[in-house]
Amino acid sequence: MNPDLQPHHAFVEHTGEERLLVHSPTLAGLFTQSGRALAELQGVTTTVPTDAQWRPVEVTATDSAALLVEWLNELIFLAEHERWVPVEFRVDLITPTRLRVWGRGPTVPVAPSRVKAATRHGLEVVRHDAGYRGEVVLDV
Amino acid sequence: MSDVAVAPAGPARIAPFLYEIPASTRRDMRVPARIYADEVLWERIRGDASLTQLMNVATLTGVHGAVYAMPDVHEGYGFPVGGVAAMRVEDGVVSPGGVGYDINCGVRLLVSELDRKALGNKLESLTHDLSRSIPSGWHANAELQLGPAELDRVLREGSAALVERGLATAEDLRYTEAGGSLAAADPAAVSDRARSRGHDQLGTMGSGNHFVEIEVVDEILDAAAAAVFGLRRGQVCVLIHTGSRGLGHQVCTDYVRLMGEVMPRYGITLPDPQLACAPINSPEGQRYLGAMCAAANFAFANRQAITAAVRDAFSRAFGESGGLRLLYDVAHNIAKLEEHGGRRLCVHRKGATRAFGPTHPETPAAYRSAGQPVFIPGSMGTASYVLAGSDAALAGSFGSTCHGAGRAMSRRAAKRAQTGGEVRRVLEDQGIVVRCPSSAGLAEESPEAYKDVHRVVNVVERAGLARRVARLRPLGVVKG
Repeated sequence: MNPDLQPHHAFVEHTGEERLLVHSPTLAGLFTQSGRALAELQGVTTTVPTDAQWRPVEVTATDSAALLVEWLNELIFLAEHERWVPVEFRVDLITPTRLRVWGRGPTVPVAPSRVKAATRHGLEVVRHDAGYRGEVVLDV
Repeated sequence: MSDVAVAPAGPARIAPFLYEIPASTRRDMRVPARIYADEVLWERIRGDASLTQLMNVATLTGVHGAVYAMPDVHEGYGFPVGGVAAMRVEDGVVSPGGVGYDINCGVRLLVSELDRKALGNKLESLTHDLSRSIPSGWHANAELQLGPAELDRVLREGSAALVERGLATAEDLRYTEAGGSLAAADPAAVSDRARSRGHDQLGTMGSGNHFVEIEVVDEILDAAAAAVFGLRRGQVCVLIHTGSRGLGHQVCTDYVRLMGEVMPRYGITLPDPQLACAPINSPEGQRYLGAMCAAANFAFANRQAITAAVRDAFSRAFGESGGLRLLYDVAHNIAKLEEHGGRRLCVHRKGATRAFGPTHPETPAAYRSAGQPVFIPGSMGTASYVLAGSDAALAGSFGSTCHGAGRAMSRRAAKRAQTGGEVRRVLEDQGIVVRCPSSAGLAEESPEAYKDVHRVVNVVERAGLARRVARLRPLGVVKG
């Protein structure tokens, strides 16, 4: 693991959708960075209100790759249904099959419009010498 | 999972506009993959992961005959967009990824009796009125918030649920695929989460490539069929493209997960997990089909509610002369149980349109001398086509054809190529009025981001999948 590696992400070319690549020295960082990437894709650049409350988000799945899809789909649902888009995260619990995160972010006036779902196509969460690499295609 | 762009060994041109990748190309393929294209489109199709994805579809249990790619095909997730595959009901699977997240995304065409010149100087104000009347993005429709019982009825009955509200007519139902209501719908199979995403989205367009466009009939290409459809040169029409919104997205999300969990029980392994599936006759397969039909009914009703808003806007602008007749409404993301060659098949159309010919019993009686109307939207700066389905398509593609021009460029590449402001100026220079809440969204949907619709439609016609009837030209564009 490389302690100098900061979590980061990029969107790479896909003819019809958006392919998200995330790198992080830790598995927890992979998930929080993917949450920030989703907010970016949804066009939410609003700063977090000072009085914004932390609230929990919890998902389960069969493995860490499926967990990444469940996590992103939960955030997509919360954005559309509650217009709440967390952009700051604290990981409370993480295993390959369970994630509990505290999130904080703005409630936006109009529910974000871009992302329909996180898919399992091309889905990967891979551990390597420097940390973790995740890849997921988002239906837009 | 193999998902890189490849030039598979052994593809061959087996007809002037048809390529085939033999089933022997990969050990796991059960049937050949066939691609409708000319040489230019074929080279483009080979440039992304479309062919690999199509070959992955050819591995599914119970897949019948061949899998097909339409000339507008491009890479998607699981199925390519523009893919068609039919599974035998007795031993095949149903795959939510083969339908996609926007269940029953589709297109309908409304036809007025107005000529282009009758629009006069009202085009801009009419386009503006449409943009204000039809919520886009993820705005809710405050006038059509549905309580649980009302939502249940829409899921069960589709467009028919809107007749009592005065938002649909018996004639509208007659000219909607399946009468705008799939009888196999099972509202109980739709999760609370999906319902919560859909209860305030009826009558909303959504974002991305969804649109409402005012069109003019620019050219009649088949006079006899145009007469059957009631189309004439210079006539003003409205094309509507949208689907089942968040409700459909959530249904797909729910069932991709469920099927991923139960596949080991059925001994199913896949080259791509987004193809997650279950036997059609399994409890999970039946439950998905019930939920998918319910979401499809929601989509039919959604396009119908938007139709009512468009009619209101035309009525405000033109009074009694602004009436709009529904020519037809057709789905392009759906799985349907159909008879083909004496077999009962579950035909998955992912970004593909049903195109039944004159003799098919589901072609409306009024159109039997022409064939089922088919709409192929191009882009907001080029043209769209009205076609008539052919009996030959039944044998050549399970009665299917393409659903649009097909993306040629990623959204990111499109934004690098042009800004939204530049796209708007180019369109306005052509006299096209544009309303779009997002400049970036406009850039992503620029005409240059799409394949040449004229070339795509030419392949459709020359391959015998459908016959060109009329070409439409955009006048006013409302994007989601």
